[in-house]
Amino acid sequence: MELLIAITIGTLFAISIYQILQRNVIRSAIGIILLGSAINLFLLSAGSVDGLVPAYTTLTGAQADALPQALVLTAVVISMGGLALILGMLYIIANRYQTSDLDEISNLRN
Amino acid sequence: MNEILLLPILIPLTGALLLLLMPNHLRGWFATGTMAVSLASSGWLLSTVDATGSALVLHSGGWFFDGSPFGITLVGDWLSALFVLMSQLVLFLGFVYANGAKDKVVQYPTFYTLFMMLVVGLSGALLTGDLFNLFVFAELLVIAGTILTAVSDDKFGTEAAFKYFYISLIAAAFLLLACGALYVSYGTLNMAQLGQAIGLEATPLALMAMGLLLATFMVKSATVPFHFWQPDFHAAAPTAVSATLSSVVVKLGVYGYLRLITLLFVDQAPFIQNVLLLVGIVGIVFGGLSAVGTHNLKRMLAYSTLAQVGFILVGIGWGTPLSIAAALVFAFNHALIKAAMLMMAGAIASRAPVKSADFLNITAVGKLHPALGVFFFVGAMALAGLPPTNGFISKMLVFNSGIEAAGYWPLVLIGLASILTLVYTMRAFMRVWYMTRDKDETAVTFKQGDRLIAPMALVGFSFLLGIWANPLIEITTETALWLESPQAYINAVLDTELLARR
Repeated sequence: MELLIAITIGTLFAISIYQILQRNVIRSAIGIILLGSAINLFLLSAGSVDGLVPAYTTLTGAQADALPQALVLTAVVISMGGLALILGMLYIIANRYQTSDLDEISNLRN
Repeated sequence: MNEILLLPILIPLTGALLLLLMPNHLRGWFATGTMAVSLASSGWLLSTVDATGSALVLHSGGWFFDGSPFGITLVGDWLSALFVLMSQLVLFLGFVYANGAKDKVVQYPTFYTLFMMLVVGLSGALLTGDLFNLFVFAELLVIAGTILTAVSDDKFGTEAAFKYFYISLIAAAFLLLACGALYVSYGTLNMAQLGQAIGLEATPLALMAMGLLLATFMVKSATVPFHFWQPDFHAAAPTAVSATLSSVVVKLGVYGYLRLITLLFVDQAPFIQNVLLLVGIVGIVFGGLSAVGTHNLKRMLAYSTLAQVGFILVGIGWGTPLSIAAALVFAFNHALIKAAMLMMAGAIASRAPVKSADFLNITAVGKLHPALGVFFFVGAMALAGLPPTNGFISKMLVFNSGIEAAGYWPLVLIGLASILTLVYTMRAFMRVWYMTRDKDETAVTFKQGDRLIAPMALVGFSFLLGIWANPLIEITTETALWLESPQAYINAVLDTELLARR
């Protein structure tokens, strides 16, 4: 299980970094989503090393750490807000420049 | 008394929400008033820290488990209180400027709310004693700053904001990853506990977290390899916002470096300091040369921030108490000067035929506003580090500490590079107040522009701190001594008596 999660996190990281480095703005936005997911999964796996039983219940057994779950919850909300903002800006930029190629969005370069 | 820590965060937060209910014509005044109260509270915070001689700690919620704090911890030590006071002073004057600005963007209903959220994010990030909260507040700061720039009057605002937000999101992801790595290793995110645990044993994951945190703060403070977004972003933001972004928001990164080397990674500090020394010198030279080469006043000042932050990094890089005190004085003074200069650049642009800070557009605009010229000249002198302004004091302290730390090579390099400051500020002054316009350009006519009280007050402060620098130097010396021993911070936060009483 741990190996599977580790491989998943690694693969997600690799894909997200590759996508972020693409010229297409929409592809790089997808890369940002994947990066957020990879890190959230990493945080989540940080807490489940102790056990698989939910915390603060009457179930017996090693309990999972609840704190990373709270962290992930916060991080998910923030990354969603950030994603909404980035997509909103992408919409404005796509309208204004009529392109999705990062190389052509370069009016700032003198 | 420890509840004072909440005030610099809660007052702007409440104000931000109330601003949404205000009628349009009252918003500016209400926001400025709220900031004045908030500024007073941060002044109170610093004086209380001064009176206690240690850190104020608030474990909000009061939850403890096994003798360690479980809720959100707010810590106000010398460093935090000084930085909060600095940022709130500049932000207050930013609000004063926005209140008298002619920009279209300040008329938007949510402008002041977002600006207030910027204050909340910055104060929160400086006052928190928990790494994850640092991430949350820094993200709040980034989102508020991005939106404010994206709606700027400048037509490149959205593009610049997009660029900034991208790099900041990735930096935030790094910070989150660092949180995860440290949590896996030590089971806590409280900075005091982390400092204690890393001091005992640094795991490989913790070293990875160190690299990630260093990269994050480099993005936040626009240090050289990660500076590329900064000139665009700071030049395109609305004047009131860019003045605060370029002066105090970049100082969040400086604060982060200081926490890294004096609390979290004390044993690894020499490595971090060498990195900072290197990127600081590169930043001074590169920023200075780029500032000389630009054709836009606001952009020039944004590049100048790159160089000036470099001086602070060199001070931190030397790492002696004297040089850290010098870096803190430099950070405080630079915040005042750079905010004043950017506000004056915006005020000049608002008086030009077309609203732009392009050198061709603002040539000879100053001839109709000679009083502004006097203030700009004093500001330029302060930026270049000439007496009797505060810029002289801070440069002198940095050079002095460099001699004491025997860092002669950096000293020679930054000494030569600081001449560049004089070149570009005087070039801008000559452009605006001495040169004449080309015949085919639109003639300059007298025009009412943005109100000048905020930049004039800032220049006044710079002058005052130049001739009466003692209080600031005393406070920073005290701060540098406090930062000497990480154990003092750890003891203050993890006060066993306090924890047992709860």
